[in-house]
Amino acid sequence: MTSEAMTARAEMGPSGAFAAKLSNESFLSLFMVGVLLALFAVACVFVPNFYLPRNVINLLTNYWYVIILGIGVTFLLVTGHFDMSVGGNVALTGVVCAWACQAAGTSPNELANGLGLPYGAALALALLCAAGVGAVNAFFIVRLKVPSIIVTLGTMMLSRGLAQVITRGAQRNTSLPDVFGVLGNTFLPGTSLKVAVLIMVLLVAAAFALERSTVAGRITYLIGANAEAARLSGIKVNRHLTALYLLSGLLAGITGILLASEFKAGVSSRASGYEFDALVIALLGGVSISGGFGSVLGMFVGAIILSVVTSAATGLLLSPDWQFTLKGVVTFLAILAQRFALDRRRA
Amino acid sequence: MESTANVLELRGLVKDFLSVRAVNDVSFDVRRNTVHCLVGENGAGKSTLIKILTGALPRTAGRILLNGREYAPRSTREAKAQGVSTLFQELNVVDQLTVAENLTLGMEDTRFGFLRKTSKIDRMLDILHSLEPSIGPRQRVSTLSVAQKQIVEIAKAVAAEADVLIMDEPTAAISEGEIERLFRIVKGLRHRNVTVIYISHRLDEIFELGDTVTVMRDGRHIATKPVAEVSDRSELIRLMIGKTVFEAYQERSEPPKEIVLSVKSLRNHKLGDLSFDVRRGEIVGFYGLVGAGKTELARALYGADPYRGEVVFRGQRLPPRTDEVIEAGIALVPEERRSQGLFTILTIRGNVPVMNMGKISRHGLIDGARERRAARDAVAELHIATNSTEKEAAKLSGGNQQKVVFSKCLFADADLLLLDEPTRGIDVGAKSEIYGIIRRLSRQGKSILVFSSELTEIVNLCDTIHLLYEGRIRETLRNGPGLDSQHILHVVTGGV
Repeated sequence: MTSEAMTARAEMGPSGAFAAKLSNESFLSLFMVGVLLALFAVACVFVPNFYLPRNVINLLTNYWYVIILGIGVTFLLVTGHFDMSVGGNVALTGVVCAWACQAAGTSPNELANGLGLPYGAALALALLCAAGVGAVNAFFIVRLKVPSIIVTLGTMMLSRGLAQVITRGAQRNTSLPDVFGVLGNTFLPGTSLKVAVLIMVLLVAAAFALERSTVAGRITYLIGANAEAARLSGIKVNRHLTALYLLSGLLAGITGILLASEFKAGVSSRASGYEFDALVIALLGGVSISGGFGSVLGMFVGAIILSVVTSAATGLLLSPDWQFTLKGVVTFLAILAQRFALDRRRA
Repeated sequence: MESTANVLELRGLVKDFLSVRAVNDVSFDVRRNTVHCLVGENGAGKSTLIKILTGALPRTAGRILLNGREYAPRSTREAKAQGVSTLFQELNVVDQLTVAENLTLGMEDTRFGFLRKTSKIDRMLDILHSLEPSIGPRQRVSTLSVAQKQIVEIAKAVAAEADVLIMDEPTAAISEGEIERLFRIVKGLRHRNVTVIYISHRLDEIFELGDTVTVMRDGRHIATKPVAEVSDRSELIRLMIGKTVFEAYQERSEPPKEIVLSVKSLRNHKLGDLSFDVRRGEIVGFYGLVGAGKTELARALYGADPYRGEVVFRGQRLPPRTDEVIEAGIALVPEERRSQGLFTILTIRGNVPVMNMGKISRHGLIDGARERRAARDAVAELHIATNSTEKEAAKLSGGNQQKVVFSKCLFADADLLLLDEPTRGIDVGAKSEIYGIIRRLSRQGKSILVFSSELTEIVNLCDTIHLLYEGRIRETLRNGPGLDSQHILHVVTGGV
């Protein structure tokens, strides 16, 4: 910020500096949008056809699954808690959904035999499982006061482990009804966008509305800003955290169902590492790891940044071996940049 | 080492905080190898003086001579290096390490290698053993009692050849039997060339332990005399409070109103069998020293800590849950403003409505206009000094932060306020403003419970005063012209 802007901010005259009127969250979101545009411009110079609308749409929608997971992860991070179980939960719900749908007792192959439930019931069962993982998280974290990182790392392995048991370490992709593949492979009329992308957009919009203009959203920030003060202010901290873990579980469930449908299979190794991707995009989007600060909109911007970087790397024919290293470097730089920007602003 | 008769000489010491002069022209001497007691009410300036001695605070003016030489430490580490160690209330030991490891912590002298280091440990363990044989060097510190941890720290100071050891209320958190053991050790320190500066609210300890006593009041030095020349505790109390006049209290002329809160034999791990009533519009004070149970009582009434017994508010038994207590019409201004009362990283607007979100929302949706109005009203009503309701609470002064905490409670429409140390760490101007707010609220018919360790605050504000000592109400007084503050101090310091 220039010294002029600083003076203007200090005075807070009737007009006031524009930057000063922004909340820190909006400032950071805008800042990260700036970073995103800069990265995009650089990529356009070096990667052929990067600027084409079709590619841009891909960039915006590529990571729909991580973004859906990111909503729950962001809310929890704002309260000062982690959810590392979302990746395992995606695998578990996808597998459960497939297993429930598979026809019962039709084949001598164990992996082709399922519960034979109608699709609707399978969806309900999968979501119930997903919420169940969230409930286990909430129980240990809220009731028994175990640190969330430990609990959710446990449930991460537990849920993936269950998925492996159900699939014998492989996948369930036979004797599935046709309806199983509809949800994940239907495109919006006249576009190349999947239904899943629409669901992602609707969820992000709903989450943003929740965060900005509801009491529940406000409580999320209060808990992260000072849990003890929140408790002494009569806020039902435990109930709220439980609800958020259930929500995060359900979002993982929705993602699991959509991904299973897209691939017409329940795969136990699906979504491994997604919990870290969801965490990374939240941090890239300016969500504070110590709580009380951040926004789903920022998380969304973070996801696009990650998307730009990885697809630019692919476009540059960088060997896939380098993808992780690149992600790491970008995460580092982006987080350092926003740290720097915020400190300057607060000074 | 040279041997001046006085280990410490204070000359015209002054410390200003913004508008407050916390230490005002203090001069006295501390004789070598004695136990020198420092007494005074809360806010008398003792802790500020100690912080200057330990290097935690810079002085505004004045000189200190240590062993006849100019002494101006810039940090506690520097103070320690020059021979002034401190036993803080928050002990400086690491629970996870062993006794031996704790002793050498921060004093490891690795430069000259392993041998020297071990000889150092041995010497320290010898000292510890001579002070208190029951503490083993391999014992983990987390298994020690508070008193034993204190002894480890004392051993550390002795080993460091400290000239002065400052002890800040060492007996506040330890049991009767352990106090005796601690006293035996403290008395022995003079033979080890250690001068002790001893701060305590328990006046009887001064007579048992002290050679000399210095009394402070309102930041000034009142007297320094040998303990043998002090006739009794009431003389000390007289010196501590002087001719304090409590002119601010205005006696109520209107007849007492109906009882709104009735507490019957409330008790928990810190409180024993408390019973009292509070009337509408009444200001009731709970006065006692640190550890007397004030905060515990406030938290129990608020449903933040478990208790047994009966609390009836406006005819209904109060549930032991904070959210329901708030709904019933009770709000707490907690003891620790920043960690318990305030959301420092949020704006004033974000703080004001949190205890009653229903008032700024409809069907769970926040009404931005109502929220902003609530914040503006709070700023106007309590005269919060800020240029915008969008200011982060962290950036406000202590007094204004406390007003924000008050505004939270007022926004909750509470009819009974629990105020735990409502003016702690606040400058004089903001203090009297807060008193004004409290009186205004009581005239509006709100009942107010003030929990304070500041006598002037209690006497200025309260209609009824309960004196707490060790979790019990020792005596209950009506405020008025006949109030005897010496008697009050006598009771809360454990006198009978």
